[in-house]
Amino acid sequence: MATLRDGEFAALQSLLKAPSKDAVRQLCQECFSSPPAGLGLLAQRACPGLAADPEEAEKLVSALHSLTRHIVYCGLTRAEDILSLFPENFHQNLKNLLTKIILENISAWRTEAQASQISLPRLVDMDWRVDIKTSSDSISRMAVPTCLLQLKIQEDVALCGNSPVVSALTVELSKETLDTMLEGLGRIRDQLSAVANK
Amino acid sequence: AADKINLIPQDFFAELCEQIIQHLNHKIPGVDIAELCQRIQASGIEINVGDLAKIANVVSFLFSTAARNNLSTEELVSALGNAVTALPKQALHVIRHVWNEQGKSISLSEDARDMATVGQFIDMKWKLGVAMSSDTCRSLKYPYVTVTLKVADPSGQITDKSFEMTIPQFKNFFRQFKEMAAVLEMV
Repeated sequence: MATLRDGEFAALQSLLKAPSKDAVRQLCQECFSSPPAGLGLLAQRACPGLAADPEEAEKLVSALHSLTRHIVYCGLTRAEDILSLFPENFHQNLKNLLTKIILENISAWRTEAQASQISLPRLVDMDWRVDIKTSSDSISRMAVPTCLLQLKIQEDVALCGNSPVVSALTVELSKETLDTMLEGLGRIRDQLSAVANK
Repeated sequence: AADKINLIPQDFFAELCEQIIQHLNHKIPGVDIAELCQRIQASGIEINVGDLAKIANVVSFLFSTAARNNLSTEELVSALGNAVTALPKQALHVIRHVWNEQGKSISLSEDARDMATVGQFIDMKWKLGVAMSSDTCRSLKYPYVTVTLKVADPSGQITDKSFEMTIPQFKNFFRQFKEMAAVLEMV
């Protein structure tokens, strides 16, 4: 992700017309979270007070999006690193305000970026129950313990946008299959410890 | 589904029927439709998993009904002959042969496994990975666990379900399974 061009920093100066620091804060958050495709709409909504015309609004929103995403991409966490991104003649107070807002949000934004990166479907919930089968139409008496497990799996966030698809997988496990599962999970745990100790 | 059966070469159809009978006999936990479909496709036949699954369901129903009614080979073949949509000759031939060889051995034995109303867990494969970098974060170092569960649904078809977990999620997952095992020990 390339650093911002001078023109983009110039666009950021429109923020000087903002009614309050909170308005700037809110706009920063919205610009980071919005996907590139949503920036047009964001510009229309957020900027009547901030920009003289739609074009200026779009440039502002786009610049703020690029700046915040760039900082998260590079993993910058220190004030000096962020401050040094701005050109020399940039408005001092605005520069300090933006740096402050970004530092406040950086770890939440990083988590957000991690959560929305491409991945296999994710486990979101799990429920289980142990039953004993006592009888059925073909067997009158038995005592077979069995586990019912329900996993809620959410499909890839990047594909679903704002309405994630969650599917439920219900599985039955016997004592044997549960032991197989435990053995596999134990090995993962051992691997994790080995990696953590390196 | 009857017309799609035409597409399947005889030896693959025979294999499908054999697997279905083995499943009904509780010798195998299910039929891996996706795997069979891949092999059929690799030999140049254009058939999709959905169609193959439907055919498998039909054949499975056929065999289990015949077993429940203790049909002999002749009875089965004449029942099929009277059916509304006739099966292609090749398919009929395979069904007759498979039923003749193994139909009687379907004991439909009373077994706790028969009462599956949900999928049966068969196997689990796993992978521990670390995401190094992505388009949103140049330096991620984000560990995660990927798991693939092999599940046989009530009709006997085997599907794979894959998903990811974060490390805290994995620890919780493991803990829950240990609890389940502990409860199973007690009952």
